[in-house]
Amino acid sequence: MEREEGNIHNTYRISKRTILFGVVPFIVIGAMVVLLLNSPEIIFQSSVKPLPEISIEKVEFLDDNIVAFVRNTGPSEITIAQADVNDRIYPAAIEPGRTLTRLADAKVIIPFVWNRGEPYEIGITTDDGTRFHEKVKSAAPAPRPTVGQASTFALIGTYVGVIPVMMGLVWYPFIRRLSSNKYNFFLSLTAGLLVFLGIDALLESNEIAVNALAPAFNAQILIIMVAIVTLITLLYVSQRLIQRASKRSKPDIEYKSGYSSRSEPDLDLKDIRSSPTSFQQQQMIRPIAISMMISIGIGLHNFGEGLAIGAAVLLGEVALSSFLILGFTLHNTTEGLAIVAPMAKSRRIPLAKLMVMGLIAGGPTILGAWIGGFLYSPIATVIFLSIGAGAIFQVVYSIGSWMYHINGRGGLLNNHWIIIGFAFGMLIMYLTGLLV
Amino acid sequence: MIFAISTMLYSRSSLSDQNSSKLDTVGGHTPGYPILQTTGDILDPTSFVINPKNAVVDPMKYLREFNYGRISTSSNGTVIRDFTLIASDRQTKEVSPGVFYNVWTFNGTIPGPTIRATEGDIIRITLLNNGTKFHSVHFHGIHPAEMDGVFEGIAPGGKFTYEFTAQPFGVFPYHCHMQPLEEHITHGLYGVFIVDPKQGRPQADEMVMLMNGYDTDFDTENNFYTVNGIPFYYMHHPIQIEKNRLIRIYLLNMLEFDPLNNFHLHANMFDFYKTGTKLIPDEYTDIVTMNQAERGILEFSYKYPGMYMFHAHKTEFAEKGWTGLFLVKDGTAQSVNEDLNVTSRRNITNYSTSDFNKTTNLVSTGGVK
Repeated sequence: MEREEGNIHNTYRISKRTILFGVVPFIVIGAMVVLLLNSPEIIFQSSVKPLPEISIEKVEFLDDNIVAFVRNTGPSEITIAQADVNDRIYPAAIEPGRTLTRLADAKVIIPFVWNRGEPYEIGITTDDGTRFHEKVKSAAPAPRPTVGQASTFALIGTYVGVIPVMMGLVWYPFIRRLSSNKYNFFLSLTAGLLVFLGIDALLESNEIAVNALAPAFNAQILIIMVAIVTLITLLYVSQRLIQRASKRSKPDIEYKSGYSSRSEPDLDLKDIRSSPTSFQQQQMIRPIAISMMISIGIGLHNFGEGLAIGAAVLLGEVALSSFLILGFTLHNTTEGLAIVAPMAKSRRIPLAKLMVMGLIAGGPTILGAWIGGFLYSPIATVIFLSIGAGAIFQVVYSIGSWMYHINGRGGLLNNHWIIIGFAFGMLIMYLTGLLV
Repeated sequence: MIFAISTMLYSRSSLSDQNSSKLDTVGGHTPGYPILQTTGDILDPTSFVINPKNAVVDPMKYLREFNYGRISTSSNGTVIRDFTLIASDRQTKEVSPGVFYNVWTFNGTIPGPTIRATEGDIIRITLLNNGTKFHSVHFHGIHPAEMDGVFEGIAPGGKFTYEFTAQPFGVFPYHCHMQPLEEHITHGLYGVFIVDPKQGRPQADEMVMLMNGYDTDFDTENNFYTVNGIPFYYMHHPIQIEKNRLIRIYLLNMLEFDPLNNFHLHANMFDFYKTGTKLIPDEYTDIVTMNQAERGILEFSYKYPGMYMFHAHKTEFAEKGWTGLFLVKDGTAQSVNEDLNVTSRRNITNYSTSDFNKTTNLVSTGGVK
């Protein structure tokens, strides 16, 4: 007892000193911040003004003017002095104002009668005479948030997202009649499709991060961060989802899985004994949960795809041809397959439920196209694509663990159908991707 | 380039008003262009006036300012003209509305002061180096080697007097000749040196025009082009001249990086005296093209009153600042002077009202291509 008391006393005494140790770094760092901000010349001989840096994030072509969205991505406040089109100085307006604090943005409106389909270079000169410029390959009128334009985007989204996913769902009865090997084949095919989509999303967001975003955003790190956080968050959510569903249907606690409900408080022996029924129920709940998670993951992915399509139209980078739409359609049909594959061995799923999953997966394309087309922002696109990638890898994980479960230990790489299916899934995506 | 411009001058609100909620307008300079209203700021170098406190030069003052020096006479009766040039390289000034640049100057302006003498005069130019680097003055014309300003640089804080006889008559550049030459010239160390023929030239409304550019982001391409130091200045401050009066322009090209520059006069023709070294014109034209340091004299008069453009017929230069206007008045010399006084008085009033005034005259346009 004495010793324990001594310990407590000792701990308390150390705590006082610990508080001091805790505070000292803040005091020292605070003093350094004050010193560096107020009189950097004490430490650094030259107090050369840091170089300005601005990003022209978006250029829109409106009726009689060109609008450039600029952001101060440099280390300090800057003032915009002049604007030009094709290196020819023009009067312009800047809203909200010409002085931009760090990371603040502004809209430069240049009255200019432009020609459709011609390339333009928009230049912005800061008060120290540095000119920044952004090239637009082909001027195209910016989509306006009108009913007509919104319907066009909705139609594109339906073609590209909703219809293909629904068509994929039609394969549900076919998938249900497959033998175990073929079931494995289709499950791994799905995993292959999704891995392809996940990598595609990462590469796509990386491309935007490198080309359209200033280094100040550290956007490449952001991609990985967002993808990982999404992945672990969705893993958590899916566990909870399965737990809740299992709880409602009195799960089998002997059932070995990553989703076991050790923390379930209201289990009793009776439940454990009724294992055969529970096992059957579990066999149905998990695939449906996985399918639901796949729908959500694909929905997030399609949201990103919609953003990309809307933005491409906005930025005049793409003439939306019927060929392109066809390519996306074929590409996305496989996504419907991914949704139904895990449910092949479950009890028959009501049509309404399938439709809901299809809408969750395909509908966001329309939403994405609206946002991308009307409110394009490269940073938001990067974030959404990364969320999509994280969501897809979560789904791949779920499919993998499900397959591991149904095939037993070591079963994943022992079965050549799984390997072939996985490779074939990626190949399908690659080949249909060539059409886009 | 075909500009058809009718004019209407009106005053713009000052930049100091921009923080108020008042809507400002932009555009309307070019036929067919919309006038845009904004709650934000206006970026308009074609109609902003730089606050004289920051401006690299007052182009209107520079236009007709000829420095004849402090005059004395030698024992044999020769006129001696003493000038002082102070070189500096530490200032940052506004070279285009809103754009600040480290300028190197003679007597604080780009271009440096116009030095004028008569053929045969003795010229004495004292250079005081108030900068941080070696500088010199190199005059074009005929003079001894040691007065050429090439081999002997003047150290920071140093002083040197160049002395030579003004010969021959004509128009000449002067500039710093220290290495790297490009650096000393692009930063602004140059000006015009005029030697009049002994018999003089016919009475005229005389002005000097120096064509230059600024490479403010150091990529060896000019960001701005000007005549007399500030882009677009004579667009919002048209040069007022009198109908039928002989106009004489001493024109010099000091543009760096671009191999050629030129001067094009609208709705008129001029006599061109290449280098100004002869009294007989070389050409009757409406455009003259020059390489760096080439120069000449232009003589013309306008038959009809109205607004006339003059600009580089290299359209890129014109649209990056090398554009101006003549306002031809139908009146006597006295009324023109009164107009000029009105202009300068108005500007002074406006400058005193705020730190950064963009009080100016917008050229509103109508007409066709």
